[in-house]
Amino acid sequence: MRRLILTVYVSAALAVLLGAATGWSEELKIGAVGTLSGGGTEWGLALQRGVTVAFDEINAAGGVKIGGKAYTLKMIMYDDAYTAQGGTTAATRLVNVDNVKFILGPIGSPPALGVVAVTNPAKVIALTNGYSPKILTPESKYSFRMQIPTDYFAPAVARWLRQTYPKVVKVGIISPNDAVGQTLAPLHVEAYNASKFDVVFDEKYDRGLKDFGPLLTRMMARGAQLLELDGNAPGEAGLMTKQARQLGFKGVIIQTGGPGLEEIIRVAGPFAEGFLSYDLFDPTDPGVQGYVKGYHAKYTGPVPGLSVVWFNAARVLHEALKKANSLDVDKVRDALENLGGTPTIFGPVRWTGKERYGINHQLLHSFLISEIKDGKVTLKARVEAGP
Amino acid sequence: MGLRALVESAGAGLRRRRWLWLGVLGALLVAWPIFIHEVFFAYIATLMLLYTIGAASLHLVLRTGHLSLCHAAFMGLGGYTSALLTTRLGWPFALAFLASGLVPAAVALVVGPILLRLRGVYFVLITFTLGEIVRLVLNEWKSLTGGADGIFRIPPPSPLLVDKRAYYYFALAMAAICVGVIARILSSQTGRYIDSIRESERLAQSSGVPILRFKVMIFAIACGFVGFQGSLLAHFITFVAPGSYTFSESLNLLVMNVIGGMGGLAGPLIGAAFLTALPEFLRGWVELQRVLYGVVLVLVMLFVPGGLIEIGRRLLSTGRS
Amino acid sequence: MSVDLLVPIFFNGMSLSAIYILVALGFTLVFGIMRVVNFAHGEFAMMGGFWLLFLLNWLPLTYWVVLPLAAVLVGVSSLLPEQFVFRPLYGQELPSMIAALGLSVVLAEGAVIVFGVHERNIPSTFQGLFQVGRFTFPEDRLVVMAIALAALAAFWAFVRFTRIGLALRTVAQDREIAEAQGIDTRATYRITFFLATMMAGLGGALFAQIYALSPYMGSVPLMKAFIIVIIGGLGSVPGAALGGVLLGMSESFLATYFGASVAEFTSFGAIILLLVLRPWGLLGTPEG
Repeated sequence: MRRLILTVYVSAALAVLLGAATGWSEELKIGAVGTLSGGGTEWGLALQRGVTVAFDEINAAGGVKIGGKAYTLKMIMYDDAYTAQGGTTAATRLVNVDNVKFILGPIGSPPALGVVAVTNPAKVIALTNGYSPKILTPESKYSFRMQIPTDYFAPAVARWLRQTYPKVVKVGIISPNDAVGQTLAPLHVEAYNASKFDVVFDEKYDRGLKDFGPLLTRMMARGAQLLELDGNAPGEAGLMTKQARQLGFKGVIIQTGGPGLEEIIRVAGPFAEGFLSYDLFDPTDPGVQGYVKGYHAKYTGPVPGLSVVWFNAARVLHEALKKANSLDVDKVRDALENLGGTPTIFGPVRWTGKERYGINHQLLHSFLISEIKDGKVTLKARVEAGP
Repeated sequence: MGLRALVESAGAGLRRRRWLWLGVLGALLVAWPIFIHEVFFAYIATLMLLYTIGAASLHLVLRTGHLSLCHAAFMGLGGYTSALLTTRLGWPFALAFLASGLVPAAVALVVGPILLRLRGVYFVLITFTLGEIVRLVLNEWKSLTGGADGIFRIPPPSPLLVDKRAYYYFALAMAAICVGVIARILSSQTGRYIDSIRESERLAQSSGVPILRFKVMIFAIACGFVGFQGSLLAHFITFVAPGSYTFSESLNLLVMNVIGGMGGLAGPLIGAAFLTALPEFLRGWVELQRVLYGVVLVLVMLFVPGGLIEIGRRLLSTGRS
Repeated sequence: MSVDLLVPIFFNGMSLSAIYILVALGFTLVFGIMRVVNFAHGEFAMMGGFWLLFLLNWLPLTYWVVLPLAAVLVGVSSLLPEQFVFRPLYGQELPSMIAALGLSVVLAEGAVIVFGVHERNIPSTFQGLFQVGRFTFPEDRLVVMAIALAALAAFWAFVRFTRIGLALRTVAQDREIAEAQGIDTRATYRITFFLATMMAGLGGALFAQIYALSPYMGSVPLMKAFIIVIIGGLGSVPGAALGGVLLGMSESFLATYFGASVAEFTSFGAIILLLVLRPWGLLGTPEG
C-alpha cells in the first residue's frame, strides 16, 4: 500500500514537472521590415500576413525547439515607407533596441539595400527580397534573397514567349523612372535580345503619370507586337493595359514581374482579358492550398500572391533554426546555407548565385505564367528558372 | 512661496540668463550619451542635430519674407556633391564637405536673382518648380548621379566615425558651429537688415543697400548651410538617392520651422528635434501616425501659430496673475 | 506629322485637359477670392472619387444622378473644413497654406484608414469603343469630356448671370467695397468653397472612373492645377481654362513625339519662364 502511494506521488510530481517544462516557452523575437504606409503597403501587408500565418502554425505545433527549450515565435515589424532611409531606421531599431538576430523582409530594393547595410556589419541574419543586383554581393555574409530576381526569371520567360508566340518579334517596354524601372528595363532588354526579339521601344515615364495615351501611341507607331510591363506597379500596369486596348493595340501584353494580377483585373476590367504575368501562386498545388486554408482562417479577402513567398521564408528560417539547434547567428547562417534539398512550398531548397553575385545566397525556385481569362487568373505554364 | 511664484520667477530668470541656459543645454547634449548607451538614441539624436542645420538655414530665408519649397533640393546638391567627390574622385572628406556647401551656394547665386524677384505665392510656386527640376535631373542623369538608385557605400568622414555615438559628437560639433554662425548673422547688423526687408522692402531700399543682391547673398548662405547638412547626412546614412530630396522633404524643413515657431532661431531648432522624434514616438500606430501628423499641423496653425516656442512662453507666463 | 497620329494626340490632349481644368478651376477660385493656396484641393478631388464609388454601390440610381450627387456631397463635406480650418486663417498666407497641408494629410491618410491603400477601379458605365473611320475613341473618355464641358459651361453661366455669381465677382475684386454694399462675405466664402470643391470632386470622380481611385490620387491633379494656374494666372477663371487646354495639348503632343521626360522638362522650363517674365500668367492681373 505504501509503495502504491509513493508511486502515485512520484508519478504525479514527475507529471507536473514535465508539464511545466513543456508549458514553459520563451519568446523568440523575429524582426520584420515591410512597407506599411504609402504606395507599397500591399506588399508590406503581404509580408506581414504570410509570416503571421507561418508563425501561428509553428507556435500551434509547440513552437521552435532549440537546445531542449521551446520558443514561441513573435514577429516585430516596422514600416520602411519604401525608402532606403526607412529601411535603415527600421533595421537599426530592430537590431539595437529590440535586439533581434533574424529579420524577414523587406520586399523592395530601396529599403532592402538600407536594411542589409545595417544587418550585415551587425551580424544579423536578413532574409530579404528586392530585384536590384546590388542586394547580394560577396559581403552579404548574413543576408539571403528569398525570391528569384528578374535576371533569373526574365530570360526563362523570354524563351517561353519565343516558343509560344513565334510570329512576335517587336517588343515595347514601358517602365517608371524610378529605381525599380531603371534597374529592370536593361535586364529585360538583355533577356529579349537573347531570345531573338527586337526591342523597338524602351521608355520611362515619371511617377504620377496616369495617362499613357501619348506613350502608347508612340510605341504603337514603332510597330510593337508585345508590351512588357515589368517594373510597373500593378495599378499602372492595369491602366496601361486598359489604355492600350482602348487605343486598338492587339498584341501580347505581359508583366514579367510583379505579380499583381488581382489588381490588374480590378483596374482594367474586361480589357485585362489575355493579360499574361509571371506568377508564384499555384492554387492547384497542395502545399499552397494548405497555406490558403491557414490564411483564410485568419484573414478575409483574396490571398496576396506575394505573401506565399514570405510564408515560405518564415518556414525556411524555422528549418534553419531547427537544424542549427542554436540561436547563435553564425550557426544558423551555416544551417541556412546547408539546407539544400529541404522540402518547401516551392520545392526543395536550392541556393545559387556564386557566379553572378559571388555568394550562394539566392534561393532558386520555379515559377508560373498565369493568364487572365474571363476575369479570373488561370495557370498557363510552369517554367524552370535559370539565367 | 507657492509653486506659481516659483514658476514665474523661473520664467523671468530664463529670459535674463540666456547664456546660463545655453550652457546647461550644451552640457546635457554632451553628457547624456554617457548615461544612456542605446545606440538607437544616438542615431535619432544625430538626425535631430543634422536637421537643425537645415531648419535653421531655411529660417534665414523665411526671415527675408520668402517661403522656399525647394530647400531640400539644395540639400540634395550638397549630399550628391560630397558623395560623388568621395566615392568617385577619392577626395578627402574635409574638402568634399567644403565643396558640399559651395556647390549649392553657387547654384543659389546663379538662380537667386531670377527667383528672388518674385514674392509671396509666386516665389512659392517657382521654388516648387525648381525643386522638381532638380529631382528630375538627379533621377535622369544616370551616368553622373546613379539615377534613381543613388549612390551607395559612401565612406564615413574618418574611420573613427563609424561608431554611431562618435558620429553623434561630430554632428553636435558641426551643428553647433553652423547654428552658431547663423545666430551670429541674425543678431548682427545684417540680421537687422534682414528684418527690415521683410517688414517693408520700400523702406529698406531707402537705406541704400541693394535689396535683391542682399537677398541673393542670404539665400546663397542658407543654401550653402543646407548643403552642409546634405553632406553630413550622406556620410551618416552612407547613401544618397533622389527620393530623399523631394518636395515632401522640403515641406518637412518648412514644417519644422512652422511648428517650432518662426519668430526666432530657437523655433526651427525645437521644430527639428520634435519632428525627427515624432515618427519614433508614434511607431506603434503607423497608420494613425500620419493622420496625427496632419492634425498636429492644423491645430498648431489654428491655436498656436507661434509654434512650440509660443506654447513654452504661455506655460511659463501662467504664473502671472 | 501624319493625321493618324494627330487625331489621337488631339483627343488625348482634350480628355486630359477636361479633367484638369475642373480641378484647377476650383483651385484658382479659392485663391482669387480668399487668397488661400489650398494644398488640400487634390484631396477633395479624391473624395469625389470615393463618394462616387460609395454611391454606386449603395444607391440603385442611374449614373447621371449619382455623379452630380457625388460632386455635391464633396461640396457639402467641404463646409466643415472651410469653417474650422480655413476661415480662421483667411488673410494669413503662410499659416493657411500649412493648415491646408495638414488637412490634406489628414484627408489622404484618413482615407487610407477607412478604405485601405490599394487602388481600385470604378466599373465604367461606358465600356464601348466609338469607331469613326479608322480611329477608335473610348466611349468613357467622350462622356467625360462632355460632362466636363457641361460643368464648365454651367459654372460660367452661374458666375456671369446669377446674383450670387455677381457677389462672388465683387468680393474677388474688393472685399471692403463688397461688404460696404451689404454683401455677406461669409456666405460668399462658403459658396465659393462649396463650388470649388464640388468641381474638384466632379473632376476627381471622372478621373477615378477613367484611371484609378486611391487615397493618394489627389496629388497628381493638384500638381497639374498648380501648373495650369501659373500658366493661366492665379485667380483667373478663363486663365484656368486656357492653361488647362495648353497643358493638356502640349503634354499630349510632346510626349507622343519626344517621350515623357522631354514633355516634363519642357513644361517646367515654360513655367519658370512664365514666372520670371509674366508671373501673373497669361490672363491674370499683375498685383499692385
